Amino acid sequence: MKKILQPAILLTDISKKYEIHHEKPTLVEKFIHGRNETFWALQRINMRVYPNERVAIIGANGSGKTTLLKIICGIATPTTGAIQISGKIVSLIDIVAGFQSDLTGYQNIFINGLLIGMTEQEIMHNIDSIISFADIKQFIDVPFYTYSSGMALRLGFAIAIHAKPDILLIDEGLGVGDKNFQKKSERAIRTLLKKRITVIMVSHQLNLIKHICNRVIILNKGTITADGPIDILKQHGYE
Amino acid sequence: MQHAYYHYWQLLVRMVHKELQVRYKRTIFGFLWIIINPLIQMAVIGFIFPFFVKEQLPYYLLYLFTGLLTWNFFTLSLGKATSSIVFETALIKKARFPRSIIPLSIVISNVVNMLISFLLLLIPTVYLRLFAIVSIGYFFVGLVLLITFTIGLSLFSSALNVRYRDINFFVQALLIVWFYATPIMYPMRFIPHAYAPLWFLNPMTSVVQLFQHVFASYPLPSLPLFVVNTITVFIVLGFGILTFRRESQNFDDWL
Repeated sequence: MKKILQPAILLTDISKKYEIHHEKPTLVEKFIHGRNETFWALQRINMRVYPNERVAIIGANGSGKTTLLKIICGIATPTTGAIQISGKIVSLIDIVAGFQSDLTGYQNIFINGLLIGMTEQEIMHNIDSIISFADIKQFIDVPFYTYSSGMALRLGFAIAIHAKPDILLIDEGLGVGDKNFQKKSERAIRTLLKKRITVIMVSHQLNLIKHICNRVIILNKGTITADGPIDILKQHGYE
Repeated sequence: MQHAYYHYWQLLVRMVHKELQVRYKRTIFGFLWIIINPLIQMAVIGFIFPFFVKEQLPYYLLYLFTGLLTWNFFTLSLGKATSSIVFETALIKKARFPRSIIPLSIVISNVVNMLISFLLLLIPTVYLRLFAIVSIGYFFVGLVLLITFTIGLSLFSSALNVRYRDINFFVQALLIVWFYATPIMYPMRFIPHAYAPLWFLNPMTSVVQLFQHVFASYPLPSLPLFVVNTITVFIVLGFGILTFRRESQNFDDWL
């Protein structure tokens, strides 16, 4: 009996073209200049990631890592190509974005949770756990603008970690907040990783990659130059 | 799919709630501003207008106030929704969610405010015995037209404003002129016959006339005007949805 495993992420022939706008164009300029300069951030990317794979994406600055991550989580739309995702994606990119400074921590948990794809019921169910994880119990009824940046980070991280992702996107380092919270967040991620979860991670920290990932994709100027098990890092001069 | 709609709805409700909570935070008069604003306008226009028009209009202040409430909803919604996507860049860059929630939550929160102010407006209307039961029907027709039109325009302008920031300036300028092109200070019968067809181009004509009928017992819009205005409203909505769908795919590229 052969079971066909459905990929968690399937990218077919993905390309992304950006128009270079040195300044935001006004309507008048648009009519005068006509078409804009363009450049391809990604070209013909084919990628198939199965559930429970842990993929590191590495490459120099400007190789298209962030664009690829944005396309996977649906923030940016590819110029050409098809994308298929099965499962819920949660990204740990920009975890403090989207908090409303005039609302309380409690209200912000709901808005932020809904934005990253949780339902009201899921948030309600996890609210105590989120609050205690972020360690902001005292400040939960206080407007968000009084929060320190550390508190904001902790709250953002706590919400994301409770969103029960099938696919987790991680950008650069994992560590947020102070030493104590870093340990706590690392532990939380490790617990998440014990579950059947797909991870896409963009990082320069080779140790972290070797520790978490089992597959590497190397990007160079918008194309995939290597894709394979973690050992290929050595062949490509990453040590 | 079922789940997606449900989630959209939950997020929309929260965002509307947020808009309502945040708008009048740290103000002294709070919600009352929704009434104070048109009251000031009414006082000034109601003082000056009779100098120019010798004819006594029945319940002119009530007529004026009805139009001003309607207009204030329209300007506040469209004015704020146009720049909303650019303003909420942080949300756009954070996660994938239906972008239309951002302008929609602004329009809907203003609908809530407008409904409360209309409820207050009902007090003088009932007191002056101008209210009729059939008016409820006209009120809802006007409400549907107004909300549909505002949503259509907001989707259109907020989407285009991401790429062309001129749109915001254009809308602000347009709204000022548009006020005079809508029968708020003056009744339609003051317009010479030859020029009346121009008002067919402005869907707000039927909208304010319906409300002015409900609250101040002024004549309903003529049937041809109403039909043309209604068709325009739904064409604008269609355009708005299509434009928003197309543009929203590339919001991230321009923010």
